[in-house]
Amino acid sequence: MTPAIRVHELVKKDVLIIGAGGAGLRTAVQILSRRPETSIAAVTKVSSPQKSHTTTAQGGVAAVDPKDRIDRPEYHMFDTWKGSDCSADQNVIKTIVDSAWEQILWLDAHGLHFTRNEEGRFSKRTFGGHTLHFGGPSAFRALFEADRTGKGIMDTVWAESLKNKVRFFNQSLATELLFKDERCIGAVIFEARTGTFTMVLAKATLISTGGLGQVFKITTNCRQNTGDGLALALRQGLPVMDLEAVQFHPTGIVGPGILASEALRGEGGILLNKDQEPFMERYAPKMKDLAPRDLVSRSIENEIREGRGAVHPEHNLPHVWLDIRHLSEYVHKVKLPEITGFFSKFIGIDPKVDLCPVRPTVHYQMGGVPVNAVGEVQQDAQRIVPGLFAVGESACASFHGFNRLATNSLLELFTMGKCVGDRIADFLQEAPDPGDTARQAPEQTAAQFSGYLQAKGSENLWTIREAMRSVMTEKCGVFRKESTILEAIEDLKELRERAAHVRLKSSSLLMNQELVDRFELDNLLDVALTLAEGALARKESRGAHSREDYPERSDAFQYHTLAFLQDNGAVRLGKRPIDMSLFREGGEHAGHFDLLERKY
Amino acid sequence: MNTPYAITLNIHRYDPEAKRNWIQAYRLEAGGMLRFTDVLRKINQEQDPGLAWTSSCEHAQCGSCSAVVNGKPLLLCELLVQDAVDFFETTSFVLKPLSIAPVLRDLIVDLAQAYERVHQARPYLIDPAGPPAEGDELRIPPKVMDHYVEATRCINCFCCAQACISSHRNFLGPNAMLANIVRLFDPKEQAQTERLDILSASSGLARCHTARACSFVCPKEIDVAHFMARGKEGRFS
Repeated sequence: MTPAIRVHELVKKDVLIIGAGGAGLRTAVQILSRRPETSIAAVTKVSSPQKSHTTTAQGGVAAVDPKDRIDRPEYHMFDTWKGSDCSADQNVIKTIVDSAWEQILWLDAHGLHFTRNEEGRFSKRTFGGHTLHFGGPSAFRALFEADRTGKGIMDTVWAESLKNKVRFFNQSLATELLFKDERCIGAVIFEARTGTFTMVLAKATLISTGGLGQVFKITTNCRQNTGDGLALALRQGLPVMDLEAVQFHPTGIVGPGILASEALRGEGGILLNKDQEPFMERYAPKMKDLAPRDLVSRSIENEIREGRGAVHPEHNLPHVWLDIRHLSEYVHKVKLPEITGFFSKFIGIDPKVDLCPVRPTVHYQMGGVPVNAVGEVQQDAQRIVPGLFAVGESACASFHGFNRLATNSLLELFTMGKCVGDRIADFLQEAPDPGDTARQAPEQTAAQFSGYLQAKGSENLWTIREAMRSVMTEKCGVFRKESTILEAIEDLKELRERAAHVRLKSSSLLMNQELVDRFELDNLLDVALTLAEGALARKESRGAHSREDYPERSDAFQYHTLAFLQDNGAVRLGKRPIDMSLFREGGEHAGHFDLLERKY
Repeated sequence: MNTPYAITLNIHRYDPEAKRNWIQAYRLEAGGMLRFTDVLRKINQEQDPGLAWTSSCEHAQCGSCSAVVNGKPLLLCELLVQDAVDFFETTSFVLKPLSIAPVLRDLIVDLAQAYERVHQARPYLIDPAGPPAEGDELRIPPKVMDHYVEATRCINCFCCAQACISSHRNFLGPNAMLANIVRLFDPKEQAQTERLDILSASSGLARCHTARACSFVCPKEIDVAHFMARGKEGRFS
């Protein structure tokens, strides 16, 4: 007997937040600071929002201090534009960079423990692609809390949400967005903890579910980053944007793929091949090891392909070396203790004495649910979806274009969080009540979950998940070409078929982890397929999207990809223009915001 | 590739539908570099997809995968097979869920009440000091921060609470105390009285017996007992 899928409870809130990480909760806190009477529910898959993926971010957050006599916001805007391979939206770049310092001060005032220098002021470090004078010397622009900056941000916005009484649905997931007359009115929530479905009706619904890293085999992303928010949107016929732009971080620790922050290179770490040659000098003569991530990742893969990689004896994986032996005791023990600890804990080496084995690992999705500059979700290049918003890594505004600069993701999540929070606070003033939809089985969720519980067959969901991750890594990874992407699409279609034959061991709804994993598998497969189709259609190389058969950037593709997944598994593609307002508005620096050749 | 280990995991299981407890033994071969989370995933894939466990970041930064292995509370994601064999001097392991929280299924517990104890320690700034001037940051000398930043590394994995010889029924717990003590040190917090009230309440530090089990098990290697001692001394600078 499989249990009937029905709604156990109906809850009405002003705002529903799907995904309670740094971006979602910064938005929540901003709404409450503007309208303290707002009722907010926030859904997270983990046991407390404090455990969100934001907490794993290490290195820092870029922000130009207006008091700084050398650095200027225009330099940061230029670096972001150039880093994006001229594919970010310039209006978004301007909004974020201009609000950076104010938001840093907000975090500090609300309890984040930014590392201080001897004068008691914020310490700063440098990261890849951050320069002074439009491509000049490295800029010391990133503030940090040792090597746990993301944790500092997460702890701060989580604690502020507690203080301001946000209601949390922990160990829960959103299964379906609800609509009434084309307006989003909330979502169905499955509380895995209690095995119950709750219909949350809200005036405003926010998608902030993070990234899709689990689509790939080796990733820095946490287990929960399965592209859920993207899949929720896709299933309602809404588009996702630029999914083919996936960032490979150059230095994942060999084996598990755990992130070894760029801060290691910012502090002076050097990449070496098996002959101990500092090879980045050949690929980026000026910026060397601190070139942007897409470039460094391709360089590493190239070294490995041409036989200059080492092989890890235990994990049997090719890699290059990161040398941080020469960094001071202070850097090892005080400035970067978590990261140096990972090397000893997870692969048993001492980075003070040994070379560290690293290789590219999937780190970040530049794309996401398309939104305008205030976080309103778009149904095409012109129209928004009333009542639906998105923020953070799951959204694409787009601040990062086709390659994100180090330290710009944390910056985006809280500056956009503030900005989207303001927009939602305004929206609530005029937003209509979602009404009282009768308690009933939401059709999509009921069909989906009954299907999972009733499926017969002998497939194992983890086998399918692992197969998908291998397919995507091997055929749609750092380098891709038409033939391998086509293979990947065929493989993914087959895996979607096979997924229908996964028989769950238990048909219980009560904390059935296998059921949660099964739901995530569908999200992963939908997102992977949409990503692969986007990669196939973009016959050029741009930022992190690197096509071996089309190695150059092409002006014919100077737009964002919009991708719609249809019921039959076909993907329909559209376009959104790239905003170039900084260039068009002219002025002293406009020339730096034209379409630039990207050399480091 | 080094020779894999033949290991046995004796896992304490619980089925909430049948309200049934049992211990199930899983035997498998596992490479020395595999984390225990990898081993559990291998069991899901090869032997039993129904075995329920949870994790998130899988590199000791979130504290989602705490469990008790051969009596020791730890994070399953940072326990490598090779290290486990060396440390416990056996290839047979007993895995239990944390006992400071109700079990939902197998190794998954409901942390709502446990986290509620952390919430009672008010992990935010109750009364923020605010910046010295508009657009400026509060000056905090690194020497001042050195007194407490180590404690901000806590991830609320509850390993310390599990190891603590005081009961979670009347003690908020070492991790909750840590959250409070950090803010007693923090120059940005002005609500000293409220903070001291949390410390001296009947659910506060008086329940700590200075057994130092918290420091012994902390996966982040925070000397939790040191901060408890500072709290008892009432010395926050």
